Amino acid sequence: MILFLQNILRFIILILVQIFVLNNIRLLGYINPYIYILFIFALPVKFSRPLSLLLAFILGLIIDMFSNTPGMHTFATVLIAFLRNPVINLYTSIEEGANPEPSFYTFGVAGFVKYIITLVLIHHTAFFILEIFSFIGFGYTLIRIILNSLVSIIIILGISLLKKK
Amino acid sequence: MGKLFAFIVRYSIVLLFLLLEIIAFSMVVKNNGYQQSVFFSSSNSIMASMYSISNSVIEYFYLKSTNDGLAVENIELKNQIIKLQNQIDVYNHSKKYGSVKINPDQEINFIYAKVINNSTNKLLNYITINKGKRDGLYPDMGVINEDGVVGIVSNVSEKFSVVIPIINPKIQINSKFAHNNYSGPVQWDGHDYRYAKLNDIARHVKFTDGDSVVTSGYSKSFPEGLLIGIVNKHNIKESDAYYDIRVKLCVNYRTLTHVQVINYSNFSEQQNLEKSVE
Repeated sequence: MILFLQNILRFIILILVQIFVLNNIRLLGYINPYIYILFIFALPVKFSRPLSLLLAFILGLIIDMFSNTPGMHTFATVLIAFLRNPVINLYTSIEEGANPEPSFYTFGVAGFVKYIITLVLIHHTAFFILEIFSFIGFGYTLIRIILNSLVSIIIILGISLLKKK
Repeated sequence: MGKLFAFIVRYSIVLLFLLLEIIAFSMVVKNNGYQQSVFFSSSNSIMASMYSISNSVIEYFYLKSTNDGLAVENIELKNQIIKLQNQIDVYNHSKKYGSVKINPDQEINFIYAKVINNSTNKLLNYITINKGKRDGLYPDMGVINEDGVVGIVSNVSEKFSVVIPIINPKIQINSKFAHNNYSGPVQWDGHDYRYAKLNDIARHVKFTDGDSVVTSGYSKSFPEGLLIGIVNKHNIKESDAYYDIRVKLCVNYRTLTHVQVINYSNFSEQQNLEKSVE
């Protein structure tokens, strides 16, 4: 029950922070970090997969409606929700029967950092390619992906550091 | 049948994943055009009312620069009043003595609106304003502020509208040089919110850096002669027929707080006439 409330609160807070704070960051003209995906990252390892896909869909849709990007965040977020379990299995070995929330403590520093970097890169690449996909050239998309991923990863790891056990 | 059922159960997660991704992707493709559905945009009334709450806080930080802009505009309006006063005098004079008749040109008036959401750091930037259908707005109306052209209205809901600014490559605005009337479209190249590109200016056209670029009046959205920007840099390669021109936009999108929507009273008449020819 506590876990349930905690996740609902996290869902709402991340959306509000994303829309009213981070979408207004205007650094270098390119930077717009997306950290709402932290919600997906922080779900317990054995969380129901169909439910996590549906939650990712709703989360993406809400962000899309606020930032005039129909379908783009939804697509990228569902993608990482689907790839989350394979990536966790790749980098860590969770004991049979255990169901921890991903963090520095449960995954180990290296495992957790790799887990975040991989999924943020996948999410940002998918999103920025979708954003550009029917418009002008490809040139600056790569810069956008790299710069934004870097900032998102730093912020997400920073928030995770604050979390106690 | 049993096998099919077993297949569905075995791959249910992959199938759900594919289904959700197909829905998301079809939303991307379907709404990629100039007109988006109102539901998925920030003119949706729930989204827009949340934005207007957050904006009522943020607004205070920009009061000073907004004040400066209003003061400048005030002076310009006063000058116009003086000019019009003179015209009235001329008119009265001519009425007394003879035949000259001046028809007042009342085709255009302005609707004032407040910016409640705005972005400059994306490729597809949008502005949401707090006037909608009930205030007489409809798609394709031009939007300006005291500095110059801001963009074009694209989506209208009951109380809110989404404006596509010049710094969104989805639109181009027909423009010309103020001094010699050579025209070409202004479009954003996606890099810097302060600059846009002026295309289709041929090699023989004479101009220099610092020349004003204004609206051409060829579209229904804007009357002729509204300032868009000034030429910042231009060059042309040996092999090119057209100049590569960078225009410094007059409007500072980062401090945008208030805009005026141009209400052209003959809009539908002109549109119907042009449609009947096509």
